[in-house]
Amino acid sequence: MALPNKVLPGFSAALWAQTGATPTPLTTANLSVWTSEVEDIVGTGAGGTGTGGLQLNVEAVPAFGQDDAMANFSVAGSRQSDKIPTQSAPTSLTVTAAWNPSDTGLLLMRADAANGTIDRTFVVSAYDGTNTVAYAFNGRVSQFQIDAQPGAEAKCVFTVHPRGNQYGWSNS
Amino acid sequence: MGQNSSVVYGKAIQAALQSVVNPVPVYAAFNRNFATQPKFVTWMLRNIHQDVYTGQNQNNKGIDRPIFQVSIYTQVIEDGFAISDQILQSLHGYSGLFGGATYGIQVSKVDVMWLYNSYDNEEKLGQIFLDCQLDIPT
Repeated sequence: MALPNKVLPGFSAALWAQTGATPTPLTTANLSVWTSEVEDIVGTGAGGTGTGGLQLNVEAVPAFGQDDAMANFSVAGSRQSDKIPTQSAPTSLTVTAAWNPSDTGLLLMRADAANGTIDRTFVVSAYDGTNTVAYAFNGRVSQFQIDAQPGAEAKCVFTVHPRGNQYGWSNS
Repeated sequence: MGQNSSVVYGKAIQAALQSVVNPVPVYAAFNRNFATQPKFVTWMLRNIHQDVYTGQNQNNKGIDRPIFQVSIYTQVIEDGFAISDQILQSLHGYSGLFGGATYGIQVSKVDVMWLYNSYDNEEKLGQIFLDCQLDIPT
């Protein structure tokens, strides 16, 4: 397969996570390997096999990728400072989902947040109906909150912080 | 979660209104033949919509907050106010089984908004319109 070659709607994105209470996350090298690695976490609905992952039923996939980071140098007597990009961290994802207290994925996130040290591989897939591009990263869940405002549906908000350098891109 | 059934909504609304305004008849839509009756209630359902969320799972949806408009027609205007007040007193802020044991559905809240009252000179009927919004868990 190839990379999707078209402009994708936001709806084409889905968030997946490894199953199991104490998963073994993919190695950094394998986060960029689709076959038998990332594809196992992505479900069949998005072109994967789904044997080791489940879809997190979230409202929308937030911005993902890399943060901006740079060092700003100024030298006395020099007219301009210099901005040098540094190795920036993968972006943290603060995710909102409609809250179903029995949802398997949300229960997994709740347990991860309670534990605080579980590394899990997450995948953001974008699927055009034939081909999939995947952004995979290892991360830990931090914030886990329920927002139950009257007049709207109850929301579950959690944040996934990727581990440094542990991410990769792949495609079907 | 999955798409709720609009058929179930309709049956629950009909049953709920009937039990609240009994013995005043309740109809699902206006029919000019009813205009000979001294008082009657009709309803119309709108805004059925569960938010659609991301990804390839069709069941990744939010809750439903449909609105049914209740129209109260009475030859005596005071009767219309009395019926409307009955509906306000029993449904506004209600939480629980909506529509009784046979057709009922669980609603988290009912929110009733009195829109306006009016008079139809041709039909010789006073009219009152209420919007009732249901918060339905999905």
